[in-house]
Amino acid sequence: MDLAIRAVALFGFVYLLTRIIGRRELSSMEPFDLILLIVIGDAIQQGLTQDDYSVTGALIVIGTFAVLQILISYLSYRFPRLRPALDGEPIVVVQDGTAIEKNMKRERITVEEVLVEARLQQVASLDQIAWAVLETSGKISIIPK
Amino acid sequence: MAAIPDGIVLQRHRDLEGRRSHAWVRRTLIVLVGLVPLLALFNLFGQRPHVATAQSANADLELYAPGHLRGGLLWEARFTITAHRDLKNARLELDKGWLEGMTLNTVEPAPVGEGSNDGRLVLDLGHVPSGQSYILFLQFQVNPTNVGRRPQNVRLYDGETLLTTIHRRVTVFP
Repeated sequence: MDLAIRAVALFGFVYLLTRIIGRRELSSMEPFDLILLIVIGDAIQQGLTQDDYSVTGALIVIGTFAVLQILISYLSYRFPRLRPALDGEPIVVVQDGTAIEKNMKRERITVEEVLVEARLQQVASLDQIAWAVLETSGKISIIPK
Repeated sequence: MAAIPDGIVLQRHRDLEGRRSHAWVRRTLIVLVGLVPLLALFNLFGQRPHVATAQSANADLELYAPGHLRGGLLWEARFTITAHRDLKNARLELDKGWLEGMTLNTVEPAPVGEGSNDGRLVLDLGHVPSGQSYILFLQFQVNPTNVGRRPQNVRLYDGETLLTTIHRRVTVFP
């Protein structure tokens, strides 16, 4: 029982972290982020299973995570009002070649970052962007003029 | 103006109508998450030891041990008995909370006898001459399922005579 409770607590904490940390931080994977990810994974594992090396323990933890993930997915699908809280919402950061500073500041995004995403999508300049939208995944969608 | 992408509602996704409070909710949650390590720095979650003492005319008892622990931690309790007169048969009685959900790894020096008194662990330490100190080390590990708050009182006896008591509780975090 302890394992399942610990799994629920840590799942909730990690879910909360991913919702508050900022979507850009989550979508970018710099070398340091990769190291951080491994360290966080290791810390979670130790707190989760502690000295339990059993297959049963692993089944309980993985099962709990799977059920919680399905539950969140179901809640998000079944109750649209919960979607903004569970998944977040997109934010428009550029419209008609003009950066919307207020929204960029809120999500800690620079114009340079938008331009990087634009170049990756074969758009050469800010002027050529009709819409840039920061998606819930942390990716920036660029819609050219 | 270019056509608005499907699924984008300008009032909500550009002007952030109805979403102004979201940033504050997020900031508040970040502060709460940051509060955990901050409180940890102030020893709220263990395991920095502290000293508890109890004095009597015949002997002093000092305990150096953490009062807050977490599952899986290795920790030590150090008992120092300072005799002000000859203690013929110094005896420590430890509440059940000392061993409940704890693995006792080491007791050094080994007591001359062990027993139980109304559920409390009794350690017979033998003779402690006047003016001398007797130091007893107990080393534990917290079992991961041991969560909660338990009494860990310590009583010092000389034979059947209670000399002094340290009252304390231990809190074990998951």
